[in-house]
This record gives sequence, structure tokens and C-alpha cells, in this order.
Amino acid sequence: MIPDYYEFCNSAKIVSGVKAIEHIGYELASLGASRPLVLTNKQLRQLKVATMALDALEDTEAEVVAVYDDVPVDSSVAVVNDVARVYRETGADAIVAVGGGSVLDTAKGATIVLTQGAEDLMEYRGAESLMGRRAVAFIAIPTTAGTGSEVTSAAVIKDTDRHVKMGFTSLSLLPDVAILDPRMTVGLPPRLTASTAMDALTHAVESFSCVQVNPLSDCYARAAIDLIREYLPTVMADPKDRGARLALANAALLAGAAFSNAMVGIVHAMGHATGGVADVPHGDAMAILLPHGMTYNLDAAGDRYGELLMNLAGAEVYASTPRDERPAAAIEAVRSMMRTLHEQAGLPLTLGEAGVLPEQISEIATAALNDGAMSMNPKQPTYEELAGILKDAL
Amino acid sequence: MSDRGWRTKRMRKALAAVVYAVLGRGLVASARLDDRVRREVRTWPDGTVVTLRIAPFGPQTSWRVSGGTLEHLGGGDTRADLLVTFKSVDDAIPLLLGMQGVLAAFAEHRATVRGDLAVAMSLVRCLHIVEGYLFPDIMTRRILPHPAERRAGHLRAYGALVHRTAALEGATS
Repeated sequence: MIPDYYEFCNSAKIVSGVKAIEHIGYELASLGASRPLVLTNKQLRQLKVATMALDALEDTEAEVVAVYDDVPVDSSVAVVNDVARVYRETGADAIVAVGGGSVLDTAKGATIVLTQGAEDLMEYRGAESLMGRRAVAFIAIPTTAGTGSEVTSAAVIKDTDRHVKMGFTSLSLLPDVAILDPRMTVGLPPRLTASTAMDALTHAVESFSCVQVNPLSDCYARAAIDLIREYLPTVMADPKDRGARLALANAALLAGAAFSNAMVGIVHAMGHATGGVADVPHGDAMAILLPHGMTYNLDAAGDRYGELLMNLAGAEVYASTPRDERPAAAIEAVRSMMRTLHEQAGLPLTLGEAGVLPEQISEIATAALNDGAMSMNPKQPTYEELAGILKDAL
Repeated sequence: MSDRGWRTKRMRKALAAVVYAVLGRGLVASARLDDRVRREVRTWPDGTVVTLRIAPFGPQTSWRVSGGTLEHLGGGDTRADLLVTFKSVDDAIPLLLGMQGVLAAFAEHRATVRGDLAVAMSLVRCLHIVEGYLFPDIMTRRILPHPAERRAGHLRAYGALVHRTAALEGATS
């Protein structure tokens, strides 16, 4: 199926492999930058994960002008504005972001403020409205295999005053270079590995079934799911398997490129709202809500889910499942994956287990209805339908 | 651009300006006639200016929220808090003539949004309701996510468009 009209852009250079991070000096020089501000968080420094990037930068012509490690779990407008301030004060000419989605999205937010010459990120909320080339060289080094933020034109930043996660989308948010090195994720605990992998899976499934689907993003989404199906069990059984870790990192990247160009829908809208209102980690929310969102969309996107059974469960299951049973079988494949991860790593199966209270459902449903991701869902739910889905997931 | 191409573009912009004027008054009328639009508008911060524009030089139409109600500002230049910009007049026309839905236009990258996306989502829901009043079912079935549900008939809505005072009286009678 070819849409009447679509756009696709994936301009980031991908550097993937063992010791890929050692190329960071070369990549900075290629971008004409020599004074990077390194953005990370304290936990990653304590765990010596960020240290690998800093060590790699030591033996180069680049001079690290500052290491900003105050990025919280959920990035906020205040943190973004502060990073931009430090960048200006230190005379930096590049940002090297080492971390998960929060760190990478903080870097994206800061590039907006710096490029637009602004003081406050809030002035630039919106979708596809930022004009001009980015004024900051930007290298992204993910330390989780989930958000795919290293290749997406989207950023999610929390408005802590309103308890809302705000979305920003613009091609100018795409990093120049994404570096995938298995050493960055090999120490990731099983619980976080499972949660972030489910985030990547949700990106792939939603990008394959939302209204901006296109033939290019479809390829990325299918490839991402294949890698997750094949390598997530390997990593859960042997977290130190570097080959499997690299495969999962690539799965997250592929899913990120897919959703950056085909967007996400109801699962992300509810997930952003759940994170904003009840502080549920994004990956956990995705894992819990994905089968619920798929079930709601079944009559509008069932054929697409049926196609994904091939990737979610493999060719043999796909071939042996009658065509009209494939959509439901695809949802069951996701539930089965969830149950396994629950047993292996304690991933929560319900919003209640994740700490959501019944009295928060109303606020979450309202926020989800107003989330930009909802506009790309194949069906538009009412408030009552959303509250019903969330109660089912409770 | 050829003379003919230039004239066609001018005609399309003139048509868009007319539809914008109708839409501008239509949203205000709907906010008076329909409690769903009223509820949506009350969630927008007071003083918010919402503008629909065609890049790069218009036409455009704007509204301001004042005390929980909407005021149509017409097609003049304003500082918008929420700005929805169609990339060209050719991107706007299918939507303005009821041939394409608002969400489909966004999905096809035909418009950009600057401002609070939560207000933008609320505006989309309002526009869906307005389209339900402006267009017949044969059109709304193709462009709206749900069947049009009207709190007043087409005639009363058209009356409210033309006579704002009459609409007020009608709405409160």
C-alpha cells in the first residue's frame, strides 16, 4: 500500500559496532567541532558508562569544555534551558549526549534554544514549525536500547508545572551522528533492558499501524521487530552477550527511524499521559498499554497487525495461523512476550502494579486525549473510551 | 510562474480567504450553539490567540479567547499563541472545502503547528464539530473521525453565522 503522500528523512550517520565510540573524535572533527559539551547523568558517570565516552574524547583534538550530569530521569524545560546556558557560557561548539531518552531529548531541547537564540524552550512548542539549520553539532550515544532518540526528529520534555509531557517534532532535532557501541548497554539491568525493549517494540508496532505509514518506515519497523524477537531472549538469558546487545541497540534505532517518519498513536499518547500524571517510567507504560492499544485499534488496524504476526511470532506461526486470526494472534504474541518479561525481570503487567491509582485515571485520560500522538492514531477515541481502556489496564 | 498559474493561485487564495471568513464566524457561532465547543474553549488559557494561516503571506483567520468565550479577530495580522500554518494554498484548499479531514492534513505534513499541542488537539476537535455544521453528512462521513453529531440544525447554524445576535437569542431560547 503506497500512501497518497508521505515524507521520510533519516539523515543521521550511524556508527555501529564494537568500540564504535572510539570514533567520536573523528566524528566531531568531521562536523568541524572541537569544544564539546558532554551531557549525561550522575548515575551513568558512577557506573562508568559515561566515562567510556569521556575517555574516548581524551585522546582526540577535541577539548571537553564541560560535563553536565544533572539531567533527571524525566527531562524538564528548566533543565533544557540550563544546559543551553552552560553551553553558551563555556563557548562550546557541539553537544555529545551520552544517556537514555531523557539525556538525548534534553540535548535536543537545548539545540532548539541555542539555534533559535532563545532563553526559553516553551516558546518553541509545536510540530514541524522550527525553521533553519541547527547551529549546534550534535552526537548522540544511547545507553539504553529503547527510545531510538538517536535517530528521531522528536523530543519529549516534561512541563513540571502542568505535569504534562510535551512533544516537539522537527527535522532539525535529528542528531548528526548516532553511535551504537555494545559496551554502552551491556551493563543494563534485566528489568531496564526489558522495559526499554518494549518501548522499541511499541515504536515499531505503532509506526506500522498509524496513519502516517509509508513503505520506508514499514521496512524499518519490521526489521526492528525481527531483531527484538530474535535477540531480546538472548540478552535476557545472557546480559553480557555483546553481539545480542548490539542487535537490540540496532532494533531500537530502526524502530526510532520508523516512528520518526510514521509517528506513534494511542499507546504513546496514553504512555506520555501516564508518565506525566503518575510518573510511570515510559518503557513500563508502553509495555503495559501496547496490547490494550492494539485491541482498541483492532477494527481499524487489524490487517496491519495481522501482517506483523510474521515479525512478532516468526514465519512458521504466521503460516499456520488462518488469515482472519492473525490480528488477534499478533496481540497475543505481544502479551506472551510481556508475560515472559514479567517472569524474567518483574516487568509490571498492569498500571496498578506500576503505581497508578484509580483516582488518576480521569487526569490521565484527559492528558492522553490532548497528546499530539493521538492525532496519528488510526481511530480517534472519546474521553470515555480512553478512560475505559485505562481502567482495563489498571 | 506563468500568468495562468499566477491567476489560479490568486483565485485559490481568494477562495481560501472567503472560507476562512466563514470558518472564523462558524467557530464563534458553534461556541455559542454547542456546549462541546464551549467546554473545549474554556480549557484554553484566557487571552490565547489562535491563528490559521496559509504560508507565506496569508490569508489567515484568528480568534481570541476572552473570559472563556471566543472572539473572531478576522484576517488581520496578529501575534498568535497557537499558529497553524498550511505550507501552501494547495495544501489548505482540500481541507477548507471539506474534501480532506483535519487529521489527514496533519498526517500528510500539509500544516505545521507552533504553540501548545494540547490546545491544538482541542482546536482540532472544535473544527470537527464546526465541519459537522458547515458540511452535509455525505461529506462529513469521509472527513470526520466520528459521525457528525449536531446540537442544532444546519439552518440554525447558518443563521448564527450570518447574524451573531440572532444566534445568541436562539441559543438561549
